[in-house]
Amino acid sequence: MLSAFFSQSAAGSADFSRLENASVEFRDVVKAFGDQRVLNGINLTINPGEVVAILGPSGSGKSTLIRLINQLESLSEGDILIDNKSTRQLSGRALRQLRSRVGFVFQQFNLYAHLNAVQNISLALEAVHGWNKAAAHTRALELLNQVGLSDKAQHMPSQLSGGQQQRVAIARALASSPQIILFDEPTSALDPEMIGEVLYVMKTLAHSGITMIVVTHEMQFAREIADRVVFIDGGEICEIAPPATFFTRPAHPRARRFLQKVLDPLHQERPA
Amino acid sequence: MTLLLDWQGVLTGQPLQWIISGFLTTLWVTVAGILLATILAVLFLGLRTGGGRVGYVVVAAWVSLFRNTPLLVQLLFWYFAAWNLLPLTFRDFINADHPGAILPGNVWWLTPEFICSAWGLAVFTSAFLIEEIESGLRAVANGQREAAVAQGFSTWRLFRLILLPQGLANAWQPIVGQYLNLMKLSSLASGIGFAELTYQVRQIESYNAHALEAFAVGTVLYLLTGVIAGAILVRLGPKHARTATKKRMA
Repeated sequence: MLSAFFSQSAAGSADFSRLENASVEFRDVVKAFGDQRVLNGINLTINPGEVVAILGPSGSGKSTLIRLINQLESLSEGDILIDNKSTRQLSGRALRQLRSRVGFVFQQFNLYAHLNAVQNISLALEAVHGWNKAAAHTRALELLNQVGLSDKAQHMPSQLSGGQQQRVAIARALASSPQIILFDEPTSALDPEMIGEVLYVMKTLAHSGITMIVVTHEMQFAREIADRVVFIDGGEICEIAPPATFFTRPAHPRARRFLQKVLDPLHQERPA
Repeated sequence: MTLLLDWQGVLTGQPLQWIISGFLTTLWVTVAGILLATILAVLFLGLRTGGGRVGYVVVAAWVSLFRNTPLLVQLLFWYFAAWNLLPLTFRDFINADHPGAILPGNVWWLTPEFICSAWGLAVFTSAFLIEEIESGLRAVANGQREAAVAQGFSTWRLFRLILLPQGLANAWQPIVGQYLNLMKLSSLASGIGFAELTYQVRQIESYNAHALEAFAVGTVLYLLTGVIAGAILVRLGPKHARTATKKRMA
């Protein structure tokens, strides 16, 4: 079924049109903005189909970590392997192809403001993947149905609630049937009562074969849905553990402090 | 002394024919100028976005040259200097008779006067449009760009499908202002003998000395054109621009 989606396949050695193996491997990854090193020697392997939650305090480099995968930020040192293929040297068409095959969901939704819900989803299918208008429209409606918004197809982003916008954004990220999808704090900009509907959509995706890397502050999501939790602080990975272990017996002192603050904000040490 | 107005001397016979012809000529050169100016502005914006250092310098030179010199001087240059530098065969071709050379309303467009006027107005206006559309583009949230990059859009498609529609919507009111300026500035083309409205109004003045009546009619025609064209252009503008404005007013 997937093969129908690739009407154009890019030339070149690194062909990311279809991944044999939707794995992501960070090798000694360093990211510096000027003099400031925000990620400092990251080594991490994410397996195909795995759901990984990335936790950590603000400014710890979590978002930067996943933005490096589809090169919304450029690497300073090291390499990231996707499907066991280096991505460091990718540019131009090969890079666009990789990006088109990796879904990305933003904290601020970033729906195209001039397009309605269904157009938001179908645009890339037509403009990037070369689908015809009718097929793209049909696919977009299917995806809207999948995220429970069939009745909002003609609504502009400004007419949708935050939770609805984020669900459309997830549908948009799924349009090209990516094998890897990245979430950058998908619920952090939402009113509390809207978080549930977005997490529900994410839950239905988890363990469906798609590799999910989720930067989040939703401890419940990390605890119940993730296969592994990666805790980052100060640009370094402090701890990688299954959620059951991480939330009950965190090994790293900074992870313990973080969990105490997040899970029990009222009873923490008085700030110095 | 009493002011005697003789509208018959302007609104009948030959003077009326001149006014109608001049008015239609003004409309056509405005339409041609607007289309050409818009195409030029979009091409130069593309060049600035994707043309690297050279593209940037070329566009900067274009904008500063045509924004900082008087339009009348530019029109005189195109008509008296640049036109004569064109190959003779091309000029002969323009001056020859062609079946498609006459626009509805008996306006000849395959003439040096029409072409130089439309081109000169378009070039002048494009210099302003480039900067105004650019401001509209800069006002597009960075997240829009990132979303498209993350979906694998090429630079051109990102510009064409995301940035341009939103940037045009942001800049639509100033753009309409420039289009209306172009319409009014077309009166300067009378300076190169282009028989548009101002030229014809002056002709009436020297024909039967009905200066006040002729200029009054000319002024009213410019005014009506501006008001009506402005209203139509705002309505025709990007839907996004109108809803955004309404929302702000609500």
